[in-house]
Amino acid sequence: MLTNRFRNIAVVLLMLIVTSMIQAKGDDFKSVVKMIEQFYGVKHEGIPFLAKAGLKAARTAARIKGGTAKRLAEAGTVKLAVFENQEFAGELMKFRSTLNAALTETWLPLVQTLSATNQEQTYVFLREAGQKYDVLVVTIEPRDATVVQVTLSPKHVALLMKDPEGTGKAITEEATIVDPE
Amino acid sequence: MKTLFQTKLGALLIAALLVGGSAAAANAQGSRLQLSTLDHLATKASQSVDVNIDEKLMRIASTALSNEDADEREIKKLVAGIKGIYVRSFEFETGGQYTNADLETIRTQLRGPGWTRLLNVMSKKEGNLEVYLLMNGEQIGGLAVLGTQDRELIVVNIVGPVDLEKLAKLEGQFGVPDLGIEPAKSKKNDDK
Repeated sequence: MLTNRFRNIAVVLLMLIVTSMIQAKGDDFKSVVKMIEQFYGVKHEGIPFLAKAGLKAARTAARIKGGTAKRLAEAGTVKLAVFENQEFAGELMKFRSTLNAALTETWLPLVQTLSATNQEQTYVFLREAGQKYDVLVVTIEPRDATVVQVTLSPKHVALLMKDPEGTGKAITEEATIVDPE
Repeated sequence: MKTLFQTKLGALLIAALLVGGSAAAANAQGSRLQLSTLDHLATKASQSVDVNIDEKLMRIASTALSNEDADEREIKKLVAGIKGIYVRSFEFETGGQYTNADLETIRTQLRGPGWTRLLNVMSKKEGNLEVYLLMNGEQIGGLAVLGTQDRELIVVNIVGPVDLEKLAKLEGQFGVPDLGIEPAKSKKNDDK
């Protein structure tokens, strides 16, 4: 009887640990958004068009391939945070170090582009997500910023690596351009 | 029952495997350059690009792509055996933004054992282009390119078997910038 109770407690504890580990892994997107907010003293906007963004991620996957609507179904989930018309001035290197320190334990930094003169920064990180890969793209400009996370198949990741800079930009553009209804 | 000879032979084989394995690992490590010494230049650059494609990511490229699609087959062939591509490039609005000391942090590593500079590598682009190969016996273990212009600095480091022909094909892909390399006119020279 007592043994059974201990076993149940152990199972519950194990489940809690596993759940918290999964949440910790999945929360990096939120952490990055929060980090940008704290670092630059800005606030991200709500994402009323999340469903729409999902469709755009699908299109991004297709664009990576340069392909057709047939491949849209291959797209996974998408997360998007937008910062509009706010101040993102200076401290490029400090921000880069902070971001890298926060992510490099679980994410691979694929490409990082900085422009000190234009105050622009683009970061593309990758991590495994089961059979697929999460791609996190952070773009910061003097007045706007976006954080996009999409899940891509290994094939799309391979094609992403072929043009890491271009595809990183494409992911952000596709996720943030709102189509006319 | 094992004879003393068999036991010694087994021990020798294990030792040889361990030595061989660690030598290969050391070589792979040796062909990866430490590029973070250039990071400070990003604050002066009008544009800086930092590309890191490690062995794990290279493996995705070689395993996830199909052999049936001609384009994908071509990419697979191109990246076969490559264990990493690392690039740092900087563009400046004015000259004199990087120093000889910055370049020396890279060149010092390229004077290490196994590295050989290729002379007479022709490039369609202006400026100075230094290409180095890391030789592991007869095999190429890695490659490094140091490209300098008045307002531009490029360092490309590829880990694994890659020759100039492959490097030329990689230009514009996998983060490798356009170096304008003309592989046919190059020849090897051990002098540094």
